[in-house]
Amino acid sequence: MAATSKSERAYIQSALHASPPLRADGRSLQDFRNVLLETGVSPLANGSARLNIGKNPEEGGGGTEVLAATKLEVEDIETGDGVEGGRLICTVTCSPAAYPQLSMNALDDLQYDYTTVLHQILSHPSLHPKNLGIIPRRKSWLLNLDLVILSDAGNTYDAMFLAARAALWDTKVPITRAVQYQARTVGETLRAVEESMDVEGVSPSGFDTRQIPVAADFELPDYWDEGEPLEGRDLWPVCITLNVHEAVHFLDATLSEEASVPSQFLVAFSFPPSSPSRVQAIRTIGSGELQPSHIQTLVQEAEKYARQLHTALNAKLRDEDIRRHQKAKVKFANR
Amino acid sequence: MVEITIRKRPRTDAVVTQRKFFKKTARGKVIKVIRERYLRNDVSCGIEHCGLCESGSEATLPASGAFDHELYPNGHLIVPDTNVFLSQMDLMESNSFNPHIVLLQTVMEEVRHRSLPLFNRLKGLVKAEDKNIWVFYNEYRSETAVIREEEETPNDRNDRGIRKATAWYNEHLSLARPPIRGKLQPPLPTAILLTDDVANRQKAEKDRIPCISIRRYVEGMKKSGLLLDLLSTAGEEIEPTKAVAARQVLYPAYLPMSTLLAGVKAGQLHQGHFNANQYNYLEGNVPAPAFSKPVLLVGREHMNRAVQGDIVAVEIFPESEWKAPADEVVDQEATLRNDDASDSEEEREDDEALAEQKLLAVEAAKRRAAERQPTGRVVGIIKRNWRSYVCHIDSTSLTSSNTTSLSQQTVFATPVSRLLPRIRLRTRQAPTLVGQKILVTIDRWLATSRYPEGHFVRALGKVETKEAEQESLLLEFDVPYRPFGKAILDCLPQQGDSWIVPPKSTTSPEWRDREDLRELLICSIDPPGCQDIDDALHARLLPNGNIEAGVHIADVSHFVLPDNPMDHEAAARGTTVYLVDKRIDMLPALLGTNLCSLRPHVERLAFSVIWELTPDAEIVNVRFTKSVIASKEAFTYEAAQLRKDDPNLNDDLTKGIRLLNSLAIKIKAARMAAGALNLASPEVKIQMDSPESSDPIDVEQKELLETNSLVEEFMLLANISVAKKIQETFPQTAVLRRHLPPPKTNFEKLQDILMKRKGMVLDVSSSGALAASLDKCLDPSEPAFNTLVRIMATRCMLSAEYFCSGSVSRDTFGHYGLASPIYTHFTSPIRRYADVLVHRQLSAAISYTTLHPSLHSKSHVERTLDVVNKRHRMAQMAGRASVEFFVGLALKARGEKQTVTEDAFVIRTFRNGLGVFVSKLGIEGLVMFKREIQFDADKYTITVPSDNGDTTISVFDKVTVRIEVEKDANTQRGKVKMTLVNPINSSAL
Repeated sequence: MAATSKSERAYIQSALHASPPLRADGRSLQDFRNVLLETGVSPLANGSARLNIGKNPEEGGGGTEVLAATKLEVEDIETGDGVEGGRLICTVTCSPAAYPQLSMNALDDLQYDYTTVLHQILSHPSLHPKNLGIIPRRKSWLLNLDLVILSDAGNTYDAMFLAARAALWDTKVPITRAVQYQARTVGETLRAVEESMDVEGVSPSGFDTRQIPVAADFELPDYWDEGEPLEGRDLWPVCITLNVHEAVHFLDATLSEEASVPSQFLVAFSFPPSSPSRVQAIRTIGSGELQPSHIQTLVQEAEKYARQLHTALNAKLRDEDIRRHQKAKVKFANR
Repeated sequence: MVEITIRKRPRTDAVVTQRKFFKKTARGKVIKVIRERYLRNDVSCGIEHCGLCESGSEATLPASGAFDHELYPNGHLIVPDTNVFLSQMDLMESNSFNPHIVLLQTVMEEVRHRSLPLFNRLKGLVKAEDKNIWVFYNEYRSETAVIREEEETPNDRNDRGIRKATAWYNEHLSLARPPIRGKLQPPLPTAILLTDDVANRQKAEKDRIPCISIRRYVEGMKKSGLLLDLLSTAGEEIEPTKAVAARQVLYPAYLPMSTLLAGVKAGQLHQGHFNANQYNYLEGNVPAPAFSKPVLLVGREHMNRAVQGDIVAVEIFPESEWKAPADEVVDQEATLRNDDASDSEEEREDDEALAEQKLLAVEAAKRRAAERQPTGRVVGIIKRNWRSYVCHIDSTSLTSSNTTSLSQQTVFATPVSRLLPRIRLRTRQAPTLVGQKILVTIDRWLATSRYPEGHFVRALGKVETKEAEQESLLLEFDVPYRPFGKAILDCLPQQGDSWIVPPKSTTSPEWRDREDLRELLICSIDPPGCQDIDDALHARLLPNGNIEAGVHIADVSHFVLPDNPMDHEAAARGTTVYLVDKRIDMLPALLGTNLCSLRPHVERLAFSVIWELTPDAEIVNVRFTKSVIASKEAFTYEAAQLRKDDPNLNDDLTKGIRLLNSLAIKIKAARMAAGALNLASPEVKIQMDSPESSDPIDVEQKELLETNSLVEEFMLLANISVAKKIQETFPQTAVLRRHLPPPKTNFEKLQDILMKRKGMVLDVSSSGALAASLDKCLDPSEPAFNTLVRIMATRCMLSAEYFCSGSVSRDTFGHYGLASPIYTHFTSPIRRYADVLVHRQLSAAISYTTLHPSLHSKSHVERTLDVVNKRHRMAQMAGRASVEFFVGLALKARGEKQTVTEDAFVIRTFRNGLGVFVSKLGIEGLVMFKREIQFDADKYTITVPSDNGDTTISVFDKVTVRIEVEKDANTQRGKVKMTLVNPINSSAL
């Protein structure tokens, strides 16, 4: 998006087609810049992460920087806001400092584009965590996932999805206990309960309206506990952006590289632990055209890259968990 | 240069030391809260001359510890666990319990979390001068801070913190005094963990931390006998070694709080205050907004350990099981006379319980289907409202063999109030406490125990001595009666009783914007012996033929300034309480009976309401002004009446009274025409022998003179005029008083009785209609009948209340009894706090002063008025109880000379008795029949069969009763006993 001249673009493009292909920072086509990740950066959020791609180690700055945080909110299903089983809303905000060249309207458009892509992919039913319900038909959690792009040095999509995945991984849902009041009949004894249990041994029928649970409210059994992780946190997808120029594609484009390719190809993969990988979404960005046969090979290639990225990210997330809990405790005990 | 050290905590440290928790808000949202915690090494241990801590002079604990405990000859200090404060606060507060205490921050926070009232008492304790308590902020000292482990409950974490702090103290004590070579090492004191939590003690023992239970600790103390009584039973542990026989569960368990709230929210449960039935201890009710009638609770099991005043959640039974309230008098003492208080034989399916059940069964059969009301049972307690109760020891519950011994025994305490159950308590002082009034606190009521368990707090004195009775009255009705403190007395004018209105000048602050009304012929009219004169009146003819009438009220707000200690105390007291032989002042006596009191012949500051009235008593205009007056005379009602009626007197003052009287008659007529009610309450006057000795010699009914009505009318007029003014000026926060119209259902029973017994109709559609139909309730043969009906109608109504004008809708402002659309209290600021607030608002309304910000705040006014309303109610009840006590004394005195027989009206019929009202004495009583009688509930009659024909007695019948005061042998409670003399002698029945 940075202003790039025609000749500059031609220079970058021709370098890509050279043998071996050349990139301005010396990377090969499949190389990522350095990725830095820290989780738990925002103590008041339910889960958070800060991710940087391409920070310049000498200068201590630069790179694409994304902050992601999740916040859980209780919603009332009866009054119409909430959805049975909870819901996820993603919002992306671009810091004006990251895009000084854009007008407010252009910034809004950009935010909207990012938000749409992220929300469509992450709120897909196949990924929905099962523990976002609180009380059936009454209360559920609203999971707000908010991302802020603090600076943009290219490849924002991959950065956003990585940060989002880390924040969702880090998210803990407070444990709730539904409390209900069941009307007991007068003079009910233990025996009476047993009897009624016998009667209700028949298989539950949809016509049996008596079995509607009447839980009205919930409580937090342990208010000190952060809670349990989101269910199915392994499933959150990683996204890989292939920058396609004719037959060549490369990863992790810088801003000027992005400006030099006619089309970008986004694939989001989810890696269920014991089954083959799943394509969650495909997007193309840019004015260029892609042939269906080409797309197929691109998807296969992308799966390979995504798997590597996924493995690396998981390893880092586990490291972070250990750093924040075990190591910190040991350090506290040995102070 | 002062060295500044910045103690910056590394960020990685923060992750574990900050405290995160979730909070569920009232609206059902969940929020995450984070508290930062900075650990430091300079949190002082509080031990004097500690070499390691820089505690300086603040340290309070002596280095050697306390030596007064037999188990710890080397000196000790105690570290109490949270449960000590939660259950044994009375012990901790006792004057004879002063060990050296280290109070941990963890404990403080836990107490606050569990109970705010206890936390406030704990704070008071820390400040108390006779206690040796050091608050140790263990969570902030880096050595003693703990962080929560995985899978650890908050409670376990806190216990671990307390243990860690105790261990640290022991280590710290030894480090602080390292042995010096060649010197004999002085014994090191021990820090002892004091807890009743067995698990905590076991863990402490494992870590070699000294610990002990409270009971064992107190037993080792010097004054253990006294202190052991103060031990609450709630904290009593069950030693794991001791085999505990499974006790029979007598009551259903409560549902957990969250379930209750969920049920109430969902509308399946109903929440309300529990009211016990004073005639039948096996019955109670809970008013619930969802039903027009209160929810009835029948039987011990369904009342489920609720005590008068608790907020409970009730479950409603299906309509087919609804019942009518009982129409029988069931006396706890009579039914359960033989119940044994000691543990061993208690709680079995004994004869008493069976008898009780039989009673209920018999009664249930007799209940009529007609008057069914919602019936249910208590499933949980939302909030206990237990306090200390005045009780007597039931002397029969003492084990007879050891009447003189000092061993511990379990006895019953019978509360003075009939609304409360008996309380079981363990005491060593039982024999000395018999025959005394004592204060008892309820600690707990287990599902396995038929009675609540409590402990002795203190003795008030011998039964029937006036001091003990008076104090017990004040305690029972929660009347603050302590003398005014120094901070309050400091708010009085410095000149004391020599304060006078300064000479008139333009510079004097007292005279600023005040009218000089010293020349007016103002007088006051009050009951005899009145010292706090807060109102005075005047009237004179104007040249234009109209009449100027003025009401002058003591200018209390000139002396009681907002937001100072005196104001706070007055707000907390709410009202002056009048007992027969004592007055508990709201304001210090210097103001109440001197500086504010509008005494005759002296100049006083006043707040005046001055009307111009036509001769037909119509208001032409009204103005309000601060003034200086000099009352010319202080009349009693009688004196004023005599003066008015004396045709020989024609001075201006007398003329003024006559003028006022003629106006009052017209105002009253207008008020009655508007539909005001003429209500009646059984008021009697206690005739004292002389002002010095307070022995009552007789009781007489209050006589109402024309002058009573004169004063009343002008006060009403002033109140209404002021109410209009302040409501106009401060529509959001005006302090007003209202009387809501009673629900029609309240009158149903009275209407039914009147219809069936007398064929009279009571129209309750409006206050005017009610007033008119009350006027028609006449029995030519019995003039007192009308008064009786009025008293009964008054009982059906709601009580008037103060409110803040912005808090309720405009159409509910009305005063039902006075038939006035708006009303307030302005005329008695010396004895009512609401009037003080009204004075301030009126004073701001006429731009004399600015309004204090607190009176602009709706929530503040609401909160203040809530207190005033409650105090007002309590004061009335205390006053009534005091009259009752003195009536009892007077009757006793009279009964020694001859038997007292009085005429009485039957006001209620029961299956086994009659409720009667003796109008001459203003007391209600019960006539009980031991023999079976016929009872017709629909016609409100009972029929007593006898050999020479049956006698039928019905409601409203006039009967003659013999009144005796007998001392209840068990409880020492003086009890009015009535027996029927005419038409039939019931002493044999």
